[in-house]
Amino acid sequence: MTAYDVIIVGGGHNGLACAAYLARAGRKVLVLERRERVGGAAMSEEVFPGFRFSVFSYVVSLLRPEIIRELELARHGLHILPLESTLTPLANNDYLAQWADHDQNRRELARHSRRDAEAYDEFGLLLHRMARAVKPLLSTAPPDPASLDPRELLDLLRLGRYFRGLAEKDLHALWKLLTMSAADYLDEWFESEALKGTKSASGIIGTLLGPRSPGTAYVLLHHYMGELDGVFRAWGFAKGGNGSVSAAIAAAAQAHGAEIRTQAPVSKVLVSGGRARGVVLEGGEELHAACVVSGADPRRTFLGLVGEEHLPEDFVGSIRRYKFRGASAKVNLALGELPRFTCIPQNGPPHLNPIYRGAISISPSVDYLERAYDDAKYGEISRRPYMDIIIPSMLDPSMAPPGKHVMSIFVQYAPYHLNGGWSDARREQLGDTVIDTLSEYAPNLKGAILHRQVITPADIERIVGLSEGNIFQGELTLQQMFFLRPAPAWSRYRTPIHGLYQCGSGTHPGGGVMGASGRNAAFEVLGRRA
Amino acid sequence: MLQEDTPRGRTIGWVPPQLVRELALSALTIALPDPWLRVPLGDGGVLELWRDMARSVEAIGRVSARDAESWPRFCERMARLAQLLERLYVEAPPSLVDLRFAFRLRRLGRQGMEDLMRLLPMPVAELLDDWFESDVLKGALGAHAVRHLLQGPRSAGTAFRLLHYHAGSPAGVFRTPASNLARLLRARSAVAVREAKAARIVVRGGQASGVVLAGGEELRASLVVSAADPRRTLADLVEPGWLDPDLLRALRHIRSRGVAAKVALAFERAPDWKTLTLAPSLDYVERAYDDAKHRRVSAQPWLDLIADGKGAEVHLQYVPHEQAGDANIGALATKLLAPHAPPIAECKVLASPGNWPEGQPHQAELALDQALWMRPLPELAGYRTPIGGLWLCGQAMHPAVPGLAGYNCARAILRRA
Amino acid sequence: MLKTTPFHERTAALCASHAWRRWAGHIVASSYELTHEREYHVIRTAAALFDVSPLYKYLVRGRDAARLLDLIVTRNVLKAEVGQVLYTPWCDHAGKVIDDGTVARLDENLFRMTSAEPNLRWLQDNAAGLAVDIADVSESIAALSLQGPAAWSILQSLGAPPLKYFRMSSASLRGIPVQISRTGYTGDLGFEIWADRVQAVPLWDALMDAGRAYGIMPAGMLALDIARIEAGLMLIEVDYVPARKALIASQLSSPFELDLAWTVNLGKERFIGREALDAEKACGPQWQFVGIELEWNSLERLYAEVGLATRLPSAAWRMSVPLYADGEQAGYATSGGWSPLLKKYIALAHLRSQSAAVGTALEMEITVEHRRKRANATVVKKPFFDPPRKKA
Repeated sequence: MTAYDVIIVGGGHNGLACAAYLARAGRKVLVLERRERVGGAAMSEEVFPGFRFSVFSYVVSLLRPEIIRELELARHGLHILPLESTLTPLANNDYLAQWADHDQNRRELARHSRRDAEAYDEFGLLLHRMARAVKPLLSTAPPDPASLDPRELLDLLRLGRYFRGLAEKDLHALWKLLTMSAADYLDEWFESEALKGTKSASGIIGTLLGPRSPGTAYVLLHHYMGELDGVFRAWGFAKGGNGSVSAAIAAAAQAHGAEIRTQAPVSKVLVSGGRARGVVLEGGEELHAACVVSGADPRRTFLGLVGEEHLPEDFVGSIRRYKFRGASAKVNLALGELPRFTCIPQNGPPHLNPIYRGAISISPSVDYLERAYDDAKYGEISRRPYMDIIIPSMLDPSMAPPGKHVMSIFVQYAPYHLNGGWSDARREQLGDTVIDTLSEYAPNLKGAILHRQVITPADIERIVGLSEGNIFQGELTLQQMFFLRPAPAWSRYRTPIHGLYQCGSGTHPGGGVMGASGRNAAFEVLGRRA
Repeated sequence: MLQEDTPRGRTIGWVPPQLVRELALSALTIALPDPWLRVPLGDGGVLELWRDMARSVEAIGRVSARDAESWPRFCERMARLAQLLERLYVEAPPSLVDLRFAFRLRRLGRQGMEDLMRLLPMPVAELLDDWFESDVLKGALGAHAVRHLLQGPRSAGTAFRLLHYHAGSPAGVFRTPASNLARLLRARSAVAVREAKAARIVVRGGQASGVVLAGGEELRASLVVSAADPRRTLADLVEPGWLDPDLLRALRHIRSRGVAAKVALAFERAPDWKTLTLAPSLDYVERAYDDAKHRRVSAQPWLDLIADGKGAEVHLQYVPHEQAGDANIGALATKLLAPHAPPIAECKVLASPGNWPEGQPHQAELALDQALWMRPLPELAGYRTPIGGLWLCGQAMHPAVPGLAGYNCARAILRRA
Repeated sequence: MLKTTPFHERTAALCASHAWRRWAGHIVASSYELTHEREYHVIRTAAALFDVSPLYKYLVRGRDAARLLDLIVTRNVLKAEVGQVLYTPWCDHAGKVIDDGTVARLDENLFRMTSAEPNLRWLQDNAAGLAVDIADVSESIAALSLQGPAAWSILQSLGAPPLKYFRMSSASLRGIPVQISRTGYTGDLGFEIWADRVQAVPLWDALMDAGRAYGIMPAGMLALDIARIEAGLMLIEVDYVPARKALIASQLSSPFELDLAWTVNLGKERFIGREALDAEKACGPQWQFVGIELEWNSLERLYAEVGLATRLPSAAWRMSVPLYADGEQAGYATSGGWSPLLKKYIALAHLRSQSAAVGTALEMEITVEHRRKRANATVVKKPFFDPPRKKA
């Protein structure tokens, strides 16, 4: 039997990133993945013959540039294609487009509101400053504010000094972002409903909250975070889908000597004497290592793989209280032709229209999104859902057969806790709602559909193993962020079990295909500062 | 003192011992009904919460044994956190980067700190769901937490408001008392009270030098302290050009949306109880909020009533301010009360006082982004304004407890003098 | 898609170089001919016609119009006479420049403001409580600038009334209602002509026709750039960062630091930024905006050392170039170039006040054959070129 230094449970992008960093530091690492391929929710698959999909996650928004650099992901096959524009179709055949080009963007915004066009730059400048202030926190293991441990105290002081170094004005602006609703925050800046709707949509992604719920303003920052890094813009599509992100990280890990085993579901973390000793696979095989890192979410890790009998009661309480409440679904379409959004002026052939190389957002107003949330709040599928759509085959033609297209539709809200529960019929009802809503803007869509795949939060949970189908491994709300993620006093990737670490999105900073949790966790295991 | 409005009878809010001591308020009387909370149960019974912890536990036990067991622990944890607020409320708001504030937080100990960090940004519904199972209990407590706020109990930051209304009360009481504070203070001989409306605050060379009344008379003073809301004070009463345009823009964005109607009614006979809350569940309150969110009067509002003999005052939420005058509101209150109260002889919707902008008694909605160092705006949190000699002391100022902003403001002025 | 100006039909036909440049979301000609040289010389010898329509233009009307503008800009608008045009910067509350432009008093209660950046929101927000109506007329008003010694003769031949420097008046040019102001961005005798956009093409034709006898030529932005440097006129986002776009404090500039002390009227009781500017005046600005002149011999020597003849920039440059005094960096030049008229290498520069006096010896960084060198330079008086005809 081979002895490993570290066993990583789960081959999602964070688990793989963690493995790569540990292997790079010379540790003997084994990654165990339950499914037949790695990637978790960052996975590409030929769902229908000839049509490839980034099945679950579909854009690269926040993948940490240091990971791309340090793991040389470009060398391992990662190519991120920019998604630069956003189209928001509106009623009355109008639209709002946001462009990367400043002049073009200003002109389009001014068509809706001159004030907004002017405010937009100032807003961007403020969020740019805020994103700069927050950025260092993403690659920091959050210190425990109540701790007496000298190392944590030192980190706490360092953090305090960092914040005291920021202008007080910026701190107040940050506080506002953390505590306000996206709608209220945007009301301070803009008057155009379409702009506010589309901007606020970024605040609700992955969360069972509406744009008028406090705490949703913070995520507005994320759109500006990517711009800072100079590596790519805020949004991009990985050539080949997000499976390529996982594949590149896996390749980097393997190049550093990490071993990856697929179809190796872990049933238990071996714990004795308060210490992790290894894992047991579902087949009964035992694998030993001094250190086990779990990429599974906190609920699955502690209440499933570890078992509460090994954990302090307070901690179990915190994990039980940790909220998931998945609310996002995905509809993947194979199309015989491009959908034609009637609101876009049809000058020239659609395949040359830049708008199809960007995102399409069904978010005509804050009220629209809020009503979509109202349905979900009481356990129903939104009658008119929010959708974020891209057409990957326009960016990477290898995703579909020549002349054909794939369309990726992110849908909210489809609550995990659906009244009456999820069934095949409810899944199809969700698919129909999405297609019906979208057809109002692109009437040829129905006729263009060759195949349709609908993924509910229950499907996400079943297939990928994310509890309640939450795409961030737990809601990104203030009470579940930073030193409270996933539980107070246990935010530094460590756990009450000696030698057991966490590296999933359920830890700080969590969320999206970011990889920061995996990287930070690796540095914690190594006992180094990132 | 310029009195722009007819004074209200009672002052709702905690009166801290410092104030009683320093101003020798021996005649202060505090009124809080006991039970402080009375909620009808579906089966015809009532849930009553008392100042006496044991009586409350017994009452809750009739609804849920588990909740009864949780109640004392919950109250104890909340009281600990409320104590922090009590200390923070009798002084100017701390600065976000104040080390003393950080140390004070650490003195709460691990559990207190964890509670505070988790609780502040939390929806009150989540907090209550963590502790209790009874819908009636959770609904009534949740409703009280969102009083006068355009948010529902599932909105983040509302747990903080449960603490806010708890501050100053004994453990287990989550309702602010009424007092005769304002009446006592107004009656002081040292304070000259004049009924008049201010039309303009005179500024010369960046310094406040007096007030022009609506009649045109100018009163001179080297210090002007305004209890009007900051927007009116700085954007309307001060002539344009004195203030930073960015500050004015921020003032315009202070949220101050009124969400409740006040209804005065007379019963045909006096009820045998003093208070009544109709908010049967968190979902009920949340749905009431949904209507208001979309700018409608709640079809099923939650309400809270304080009775005094045959008369009563009803707080009905949510009623968007623009619709506060709606004649149907009286009928709505009557309909909702019918199963639980004696027949109603008379019913009148009361207008909100003039110094409640958009009908909001806190002048600036008490939400996390407009509380403590952010209240009402970070630039104004220290009661001073950029105009020399012009100060703010109204409800829009920290801590949004009647009298305390005035107390903190006066101390800040005296410290500078 | 970028916008075209109301004159595009004409300018596009004339633009032999196909060299266009962006200006406030529009395209305008960089030069019409294949090089901009003749276009530059026309400014100083005959008359050059520029399309300046992309400027932002606002009409401010109402009882409090003068009051609003007086609150916003640093100069005294209340005292401006009808028909007077003021060049002025405006600041934020911290006294840092947001933008610069002109305010023209068209009537007792009617003003036109021009600016480089959009300012509608700023005007509206500051107008709260005032009786004014603000209209953004950027798109509806077409603007031409006729600059050069022959400019007046051309306008006169079309029946324009005489105008003093920085005055304006309504007129009718071949039946086209226009407003003419004696203003410009070249430091020469010149006028700007404002008309409804539907009149743009006839107006262009009238001027080009009347100007033929006087040697009129359309000119592009490259020629203008040299002329404005000679005139010592700064350009937003090139010579200074507007306060609303500054990412860090050191990017901000006060009017004093931009050599605009003459525009700051501290006699006014109130205007935005007054307190800060008062304080800055008391202790003196940290920076000065000056003209510098490179020493020819030093330049020639640097090139001679590597065996080359002196090379001069073919067009005005816009970048930040370090300046040294006594070996220490004392500031930076932001735009510069060769003046074909003065036969001098000149630049506009920001210098720390202690190194900014006229006559101060400096060194400017210059790249000679891939290597960084320092050429001698001197602080000189601005404007570099100031013909009497400008104001005569």
